[in-house]
Amino acid sequence: MLNALPCSYWDGNMERDYPQKEGAEELNICDQPTEGPGAYADTLATSLSLLGSHMFPYHGEVVDRDVKTSVSTEDPVETLLPDPTAVERTSTLEAELSQKADTESQESEDIGLSAQSDEVVLAEASVNNGKDSSGEFVVALLAGSKLEEHCVGTEGTSSVLSESIAEEAPPLSHRDEDVTAESWRQHRKHVFVLSEAGKPIYSRYGSEEALSSTMGVMMALVSFVQSGDNMIRSVYSEERTVVFVQKGPLVLVCVANSRQSEQQLRDELLYVYYQIISMLTQASITRIFEHKKNYDLRRLLAGSEKILDGLLDLVDWDPSFLLAAVHCLPLPSSLRDSLSQILQKAITPNLVFSILIAKKQLVTIVQEKTVIEDARLEPADVHLLLNLIGASSAFQAGEIWTPICLPLFNPDCYFYAYISYLDPPECTVCLLLLSTDKEAFYAVAECKRRIEEAMVAQNSLSLIEKAQSYSVSQVGVSDLRHFMYKPFDVPDNHRQLTQFTSPEMEAPYSSAEEKMRLLDLYRYMHSRIHSSSRPLKLIYHVAERETLLAWVTSKFELYTCFSPLVTKACAITAITKLLRWLKKEEDRLFIRYPPKYSTTPNPSKSSRKSEQQDSTDNGFMSLL
Amino acid sequence: MPEISKMKKPDVKVVILGDMNVGKTSLLHRYTERKFRDTISTVGGAFYLKQWGPYNISIWDTAGREQFHGLGSMYCRGAAAVILTYDVTSWQSLAELEERFLSLTDTANHDCIYAIVGNKADLTDPRAQLPADPQSPAEGGEPGTGPRVPSACPTPPASPLSPGSPPQQVGREEAAALYGRVLRYKGLDEGSSLPADRMCFETSARTGYNVDLLFETLFDLVLPSILRKRTENQRSPTVDLEDYCEPPGRRRGCC
Repeated sequence: MLNALPCSYWDGNMERDYPQKEGAEELNICDQPTEGPGAYADTLATSLSLLGSHMFPYHGEVVDRDVKTSVSTEDPVETLLPDPTAVERTSTLEAELSQKADTESQESEDIGLSAQSDEVVLAEASVNNGKDSSGEFVVALLAGSKLEEHCVGTEGTSSVLSESIAEEAPPLSHRDEDVTAESWRQHRKHVFVLSEAGKPIYSRYGSEEALSSTMGVMMALVSFVQSGDNMIRSVYSEERTVVFVQKGPLVLVCVANSRQSEQQLRDELLYVYYQIISMLTQASITRIFEHKKNYDLRRLLAGSEKILDGLLDLVDWDPSFLLAAVHCLPLPSSLRDSLSQILQKAITPNLVFSILIAKKQLVTIVQEKTVIEDARLEPADVHLLLNLIGASSAFQAGEIWTPICLPLFNPDCYFYAYISYLDPPECTVCLLLLSTDKEAFYAVAECKRRIEEAMVAQNSLSLIEKAQSYSVSQVGVSDLRHFMYKPFDVPDNHRQLTQFTSPEMEAPYSSAEEKMRLLDLYRYMHSRIHSSSRPLKLIYHVAERETLLAWVTSKFELYTCFSPLVTKACAITAITKLLRWLKKEEDRLFIRYPPKYSTTPNPSKSSRKSEQQDSTDNGFMSLL
Repeated sequence: MPEISKMKKPDVKVVILGDMNVGKTSLLHRYTERKFRDTISTVGGAFYLKQWGPYNISIWDTAGREQFHGLGSMYCRGAAAVILTYDVTSWQSLAELEERFLSLTDTANHDCIYAIVGNKADLTDPRAQLPADPQSPAEGGEPGTGPRVPSACPTPPASPLSPGSPPQQVGREEAAALYGRVLRYKGLDEGSSLPADRMCFETSARTGYNVDLLFETLFDLVLPSILRKRTENQRSPTVDLEDYCEPPGRRRGCC
């Protein structure tokens, strides 16, 4: 089927790294796929083309190369620049900004704009090859020319290449999608989860059954590369990136044309993995597959698909995931403090976290003292909790009691979560209490009643009701359209939960398409800032319809979006003003001093763990 | 804890068990909210307090997913009534009751009563298709108001035990036979227990058919248990549901 390929081209970089002979064999196999000589590259190529023929009907050409021979002098991001008019003049900008910072340093020292040499110097030169995975493979799937009538069930391949972003109002059930349809292929981001035995566990679109052969090929790829003591990491085509993540007995695959960096996609897959862990724990997944290699994990995850679907939607639409930080609801600090005190007083033995959420944002969080000494709550764990609440709120009058694992806190143990809405039937204010004691429901429910009473007495609910996200206009900088600001730990409070703040997305970013476009721009800026090969500290990016400036220092990470005609000088002044405004408002925008309580009379670190160990499998092991 | 007197203390506990997607949450939602709407798979268990005359009845709506299997015995501890729910269009869901859920009731009260409930009866029984509740004509926000076809409520993919076989309907006799086996499992004498024809129900959360009958029958039947507990409590006022001690060594099954 592949010999219908029109003559393909080789990317210059690839060719340099790849022996010509191998290339010839490659073409050979295209002619006679069944009689491949069995050489490494051939088998791999066959698997890849199988996968390719399902996922990318247009591309039949495959090439693999070893990453160690091609230290990335080529910058794939460069070629993917969403906008050809984009310019980056970081060095001059840096000079200007540092100059500006110098003049302002006196007053702005406290807001992190001081001209510390290490901050303003661009890190552009510091290519970090240090941990470049010498043994790992990057398999590049070259985008060949358009190929017609090429594979499984496609005919009339329309050349609609641009993925419409208007996917956010998806049809009711993704599960029933026809996986051979063109529309299925055109999804912006596919995510698959499979077991090492190649059994499908989850697919974002389409039913796992219908995709079992595709997933089988994915697994073949993974294990083939593995058999050579290597690890497949990614496959690139002109339009799509395929990223593989292997975690224990699970393999996660993402196929995206969102133009995100490999690292970003990898991080997103990790969120999916962690959400699965949050439901089953790592220990029990490991044990299940030790017990039975070809176990169908869908038995245990059945019913949780919506939680994973919801997570992937959040990942696409909520920058908290990109920034790995928690967005909290802006509140007058006095109100936040009084709410914290209410939570702080309503305690019972073994209670470890009390979390108040309103409008899907964090209001306050109170932690057990000994817990906070051990480890801090990671933003990712909070994201997973918020997603769980969002995905399980169908019937909100009840009080939910469910085991949940916080994978970054401890991937092998369960907490028991009490979830209840305080304002039915609106259900915007949610209380989440985490205990280590499986039997503590009634005691924890009693804490809720005390919290409820105190909140009624202080009229807190209606005060929370008034709180809302802020408009960027409050900053008072005319050209500033939007921003995301993530301060890093302040020295005196290392155990702070990482947070960020961001105004509402307002016009021109009110439609879903425009929102996604801005988020994509932010993702692009983020990928440049965090590029592993060429990290940047400062980017001034003139895009088609806006101008963006991203800046990372030792104290904060800042992404700003300006109107397109803003001058560099204006942008710099604006950022100075913005930082000053943020400093002034920080008590309202962030949880400043997360309070603690003590619920264990004789705190011993071991008790926390041993108590939970016996319940790691939550009883379902007996059903295997 | 003496200060918890403010809390409305549940007098008695009712637990709803059954495989996922049989409609446990929908049944309870129909009963408490008089509505039918799409629900999301329950996580863990959800606790509701129902005022029944002077009594507070706690109802635990549990998750049917295997993931939460281990919690079942905790939810069932000290239960006065257990509603074993299956889907009338899925024979497998009835079989699951015996295989997976019956053993969870080991922690229930000795005099616990059991109801076998076949939900989704509107799919098999024309009588169940008429709205039982005239105040709620159209079904919530449900898109298709026409009679559902069985494929609209798929058997969970979680039952690989019956690969690909079409859903098999469950007759009342099979439910009654299961009721008999439940009694035998519990070591109860069929003669002195409630008869199967009183304790087997076919319901429809969608139309409301038999839903009130189910809950109200059960609530009336657990009243004696409430009264007895109250008199016991007068002797030792600190004993309550949570203090129920199960026989040691009973729970650790296989694994």
